[in-house]
Amino acid sequence: MIELLASIERDAGGSSIIHGIDARIKLLVSIAVIVAAVAYPYAVSVYWFGLLFGGVLVILWAASRLSPRTYLQRFLMVLPFGFFLIVFQIFFKNPHYESFSPLFVLPAGMTIWTESVEFASILMVKFVICISCVILLSSTTPIHDLLRGARRLGLPSVVVLSLGMMVRYLFVFAGMYDRVGAALAAKNFHPLDASLPYRYRIRTLGYTIGMFFIRSYEQGERTYACMLSRGYGADCLDALPPKPFTAPERAALLFSFLFVVAGAVGCWVMTA
Amino acid sequence: MHIPDAFLPIGQAIVYWIIALVFFALALRWAKRELNEARIPLVAVLAAGIFALQAFNLPIAMGTSGHLVGGALAAIVLGSPYGAVFILTLVLIIQGFIFGDGGITVMGANIINMGVIGGFVGFYSYKGLKAALGSPYISAGIAAWLACVIPALAASVELFIAGTFPLVPGLIAMGTYHAVIGVIEGAITAIALYLIATVRPDILELPAGAVAS
Repeated sequence: MIELLASIERDAGGSSIIHGIDARIKLLVSIAVIVAAVAYPYAVSVYWFGLLFGGVLVILWAASRLSPRTYLQRFLMVLPFGFFLIVFQIFFKNPHYESFSPLFVLPAGMTIWTESVEFASILMVKFVICISCVILLSSTTPIHDLLRGARRLGLPSVVVLSLGMMVRYLFVFAGMYDRVGAALAAKNFHPLDASLPYRYRIRTLGYTIGMFFIRSYEQGERTYACMLSRGYGADCLDALPPKPFTAPERAALLFSFLFVVAGAVGCWVMTA
Repeated sequence: MHIPDAFLPIGQAIVYWIIALVFFALALRWAKRELNEARIPLVAVLAAGIFALQAFNLPIAMGTSGHLVGGALAAIVLGSPYGAVFILTLVLIIQGFIFGDGGITVMGANIINMGVIGGFVGFYSYKGLKAALGSPYISAGIAAWLACVIPALAASVELFIAGTFPLVPGLIAMGTYHAVIGVIEGAITAIALYLIATVRPDILELPAGAVAS
């Protein structure tokens, strides 16, 4: 994940109509779509919701001039745990249905249930919409713009400052992560190499992680001392100048919220 | 262990958010009291470090792998469970909003599991075990194991309450998986703590040889 950080920031630094939108608007609208997707009842009409908002997200992604491959790469990175939960749904009954009919009976007494497959597909639609919103948001908004936007929306300055510092150090870590990975590879060490004794692998990883932490901390101390000498400080974000929404931004925000609410309610009402 | 968006109904997600915000407010009070110019780099590096630790895939068995959580390590290094809540919240914000790992509506539940449960279990079991056993590193290892397994079981219970995963298979799958990851997390936490205590003891809020009151 950490190795993708630089590519995400590179994508976020691009120029397009989507990149140019105020970070606060993108943040608020993304949260609104995610809340709508999660709040949508567990019903098959969520397919229409998915089609509508999935279509909008495809248009916005195209407008951002980013490659579909970038989206797929980032989507696959966050897929595993959610996909595990979705795939295993099909073998279990759940409280969202009253009766279940078998779709396939497998050896070892396992059964795939028709209703559970339907429920898994509903979860998949909601999951994909939520993940896609986050991918679009972070691929079109530099992290520090997001943090400044979050500060202007009321996130406490100590949180924003710590997040900002954390992100700076993440880039330090990303570089060090590559170097440590190359050093381990050069010594033919791989944590999943079963030919090496398990205790040796764990001890090497423990020392690597400890060294990783200490080197980064010391690099962090030097970096922070440099930042302080340039006027950066614990209270510097308290002086962030206010930036009221312009009239077109307010209109865009209002239209987006109305679209999200009307889209979700419309899909539910028309298919009820 | 990161519950993704859509796996908890919105009502339950809000309840978890409210509980998480209460703990986060307490962690914020801790941060405002503790975070001076000298401590900011430590907290930020620890947050970035835990983020990076969660990116390290560790070998388990049969070709599967898992990642560390880091709640116990954060709580022990900073000498406060609220430090773990604060740091894990920072990590989850970046993971949720930048990478899409975990989620936005479920962030409250993830903060409770990894930050609150992980931090409190890790910190207080470390203190108790250290008083009983004497060894800071064995205590840290066991505390880290508990801080890995118990949040995983909590996540299984939350998914069961949400009706998105059955209880017994969830507890067995998550419990078994994280019991194995927990052994690795315990070993690595103990080794990392030993290394920090040896090379930079000034970083540790609780000296590895002492028990906090």
